[in-house]
Amino acid sequence: MFTGRSLWTMVHGIGLGGGALMGMAAALFYLYAARVSAGSDSRTASRALARLTVATAAVLWLAVLLGTYIVFPPYRMTPPAGVTDLSQFPRALILANPDTAWLHTFAMESKEHMPWIAAMLTTAVAFISVRAPSRLLGDASLRNMAIGLLAIAFALVAFVSLMGVFVNKVAPLQ
Amino acid sequence: MTIATPDIDTAVSRASNGTAMACLLGAGVGAFAMGAIVLLNETGLFAAPTLYAPAGGVTGRTTLATIVWLVSWGVLHHWWKARGVPPARVYAVTLILVALGVLGTFPPVWGLL
Repeated sequence: MFTGRSLWTMVHGIGLGGGALMGMAAALFYLYAARVSAGSDSRTASRALARLTVATAAVLWLAVLLGTYIVFPPYRMTPPAGVTDLSQFPRALILANPDTAWLHTFAMESKEHMPWIAAMLTTAVAFISVRAPSRLLGDASLRNMAIGLLAIAFALVAFVSLMGVFVNKVAPLQ
Repeated sequence: MTIATPDIDTAVSRASNGTAMACLLGAGVGAFAMGAIVLLNETGLFAAPTLYAPAGGVTGRTTLATIVWLVSWGVLHHWWKARGVPPARVYAVTLILVALGVLGTFPPVWGLL
């Protein structure tokens, strides 16, 4: 029913990409909520936030590395000369039709690099939540910086995830 | 008589915040490096070597940007680890670097070159 290539795609997009989005959303909410609940037990809160952000960064890096080194190669394989059925060659299939070519030239080209930036930003927030947890929750300016960068990372991952859904809808890895 | 008092919030924010600021600015430098390397590749001025042929040139570009990120983070950390750094300025520069980096990886921008 599912080929190895389609399973890897699901692990990359739904499992790791979706998991990273949920983790970032949770961390954003946590950082925002910490702003208004200054009386809470900061040690417990900061430990939980550190675990959440580190796990999110790890999942995002896994999604990025798996996408680049496991999922992307079969997507970009060049079909041998004379092959007319391009269903096993998603990039060639997409580019063969002018109506779907944008899925490679815009969608997939965006997906190649943007997630790496998101992973760097998420790692930065995770590092601060581990190294300076009480400062992250207690210093308004640092917390706002973390929220800002995490929000950018979330937007980038959400965008490339949507592009991935479009590409996979038209030319799934089978 | 009015006594000038220091801005408490700013003072708290800056007290040996160098580790956190280095980490944030390092991420901004890494993001900018990614955009710059992609733009240089698209203009044909510089092509990072391919590290894994089945995945193509993206492996070299992303690895190079990752190295720039880690090295800049390490250097900034070494410089700032025991210092207080103005957070607003670091945040502004980081945001500018991230914005430029994201723009560099955005395919419609390549068509403007």
